[in-house]
Amino acid sequence: MHAAQILVNAVVLGCLYACIAIGFSLVWGVLNVINLIHGSFIVLGAYLAYGLYNALHVSPWYSVAVAAPLFFVLGYLLQRLLLNRVITAPVLVTLTMTFGLDLILNNAMIYFFKADYRKLTLTPSLGSVSIFDVVVPVDRLIATVSALALTGLLYLLLRRSRVGRAIVAVRLDRDAAVLMGVDVKSIYAVAFGLGAALAGCAGVLMALIFPISPLTSSGYLGKAFVVCVLGGLGSVSGALAGGLLLALVEGIGSTFFGPAHATTLSFILLIVFLILRPQGLLGRKGFE
Amino acid sequence: MNKSWVARYARLAAPLWVAAVLCGTLASNASAEDVIRFGAPLPITGPLAPEAIKQQQGYDLWAEEANKAGGISVGGKKYKVEIVYADYQSNTPRAVQATEQMITQGNVNFMFGAFGSGAAKAASTVSEKYKVPTLAATASSVQVYDQGYKYLFGTFTPNDTLTTPLTQIIKAKVPEVKKVAILARNDLFPLAIAQEMEKSAKANGFDLVYFEKYAIGTLDHSAALSQIKSLAPQWIFVTGYINDLLLVRKQMADQEMKAPVVTMIAGPAYQEFIESGGKTAENITSASWWHPAARYEGKDIFGATENFVKLFKAKYKSEPDYGQASAALCGALFQMAIEKAGSLDRDKVRDELAKLDVVTFFGPVRFGANGQINSLDPPVFQIQGAKPVVLFPEAIKQGDLKVGVN
Repeated sequence: MHAAQILVNAVVLGCLYACIAIGFSLVWGVLNVINLIHGSFIVLGAYLAYGLYNALHVSPWYSVAVAAPLFFVLGYLLQRLLLNRVITAPVLVTLTMTFGLDLILNNAMIYFFKADYRKLTLTPSLGSVSIFDVVVPVDRLIATVSALALTGLLYLLLRRSRVGRAIVAVRLDRDAAVLMGVDVKSIYAVAFGLGAALAGCAGVLMALIFPISPLTSSGYLGKAFVVCVLGGLGSVSGALAGGLLLALVEGIGSTFFGPAHATTLSFILLIVFLILRPQGLLGRKGFE
Repeated sequence: MNKSWVARYARLAAPLWVAAVLCGTLASNASAEDVIRFGAPLPITGPLAPEAIKQQQGYDLWAEEANKAGGISVGGKKYKVEIVYADYQSNTPRAVQATEQMITQGNVNFMFGAFGSGAAKAASTVSEKYKVPTLAATASSVQVYDQGYKYLFGTFTPNDTLTTPLTQIIKAKVPEVKKVAILARNDLFPLAIAQEMEKSAKANGFDLVYFEKYAIGTLDHSAALSQIKSLAPQWIFVTGYINDLLLVRKQMADQEMKAPVVTMIAGPAYQEFIESGGKTAENITSASWWHPAARYEGKDIFGATENFVKLFKAKYKSEPDYGQASAALCGALFQMAIEKAGSLDRDKVRDELAKLDVVTFFGPVRFGANGQINSLDPPVFQIQGAKPVVLFPEAIKQGDLKVGVN
């Protein structure tokens, strides 16, 4: 039963990791931008949920609907006004740009919200469900389902909609997409906006689970990075696969080698992947 | 052409230089006469920023109170207090640099130690070299004080003074507790506390069924907690900082983990833990170096503990915790030592600090030969009814241990 509990823990955590990583993966895959502001977007989303719940008693489930458009606009404008200007420059320039933006956003959050840790505590609490002695906390379960739903929505958007097809086209071959009449700059902005919206929604869901502080942003960013490398860039299912793999390795590693070594194991896995399968579990070779 | 350009600047530069030197002399005369400068290197930005802010609040409160009373009197003359802060960005080597800069260029008279045991130890080498008396507000590890330094003093007792009374209380009051599980953050202070707990548990005949560390920045504890749950310990002991402990407590509740005794160090001493933890904070035991529920009649500038708490609440609209109180205490101790020495001479002040034997709002203060305080019984407390209730020491006890954390 203990093994079943560990497995269930890992699956739930894996979906949360996927939720954290998916927006990051989209931006990296489509724009070839390593978006270092991603972690701070997640934290900002968490503060949004915290503020709405404590000031107006808005349940975090509704806050997702507020966060998505708000962060989309924020991300869209950021890309249109700032990042598009340096998008063709070498990757280090965009990296530095998002690094700088992250410093600004993160320090602004420390200034306005303080560095104190806060917790969104629902009253009454949602509790847990247990099936055959395997316990699953309801808030994690809902976050997992929401993460899967968001992932599914993004998948449908990329597959079925005109904008989605254009995003995929730009990702596959930018020059060919331009020749086919795709407005690359606005597709970039839409993709970045989507990435930001996913980060914001992830933040709202994470607010239920993790303590909130601007200082946690680097933790989220680190997980997103590992998940992307493991799962493969720019692919929706890749983020999910990467998240699950990471959570399983951490869960099983922590049981057998002690929790202190869980992170070491996950980074060893990262190095192994970088050497043997740099395109990740589900990524395809040759896409930049 | 070139020559006239140079000449013009040279002509301008001379009077400017004279003016600058004059201003500097006047300013430094003014500050040397009326002000005592205290250097405080703190991690104002970076991961330790929340802790730095707490310490800063303590120093500022003391400086404000001291200045309100006219300042520190030295041989019949009043000196204002000025605290000079330097941000070492949560980076220990920079704490050492900042300390050196403050002493050599910042004209500080005395120093406060850097945050925590690690940085305080590193920075103390510099203040020792320049023979500047230093009071460390938040360094508890014995390794900070066993360097044979003369100018370093600290207001936190060694780590084992937190775990030993706790173990004895549990042993006496809850005899059914046999199995203990320890989960520790792999970090200097939290790990040291966990190791002390391991020793206390073994010495008192408990059965240690689990002792593991978790990495700094761990986002999920479910695997470790599932394992602990399967071992069914009666006492779960977790160390870490407030974010870790909030997360662990939340995940314990998620996994429906129950135990007669759950102890967490160092989060529950903070008001945010009680507020954020809500019902899950109930009956959690902890220990810290000071608690606002303590009742001492101090001879320092703050007087009674209640008065300190009142002043703190008026200024910051929140309850003080041990970090803020210890920082304020360091200021108050400097003030007493300087006033007794009747001089700003660093060696005289150092000798007065070493001789101190006084009751303060923080508790009785007396430093051992190594500079670490040895006169305090750190309180053991438990969260009951969303309030911390002191269980030990007897002199300030407010209630009895409640068994059962659900």
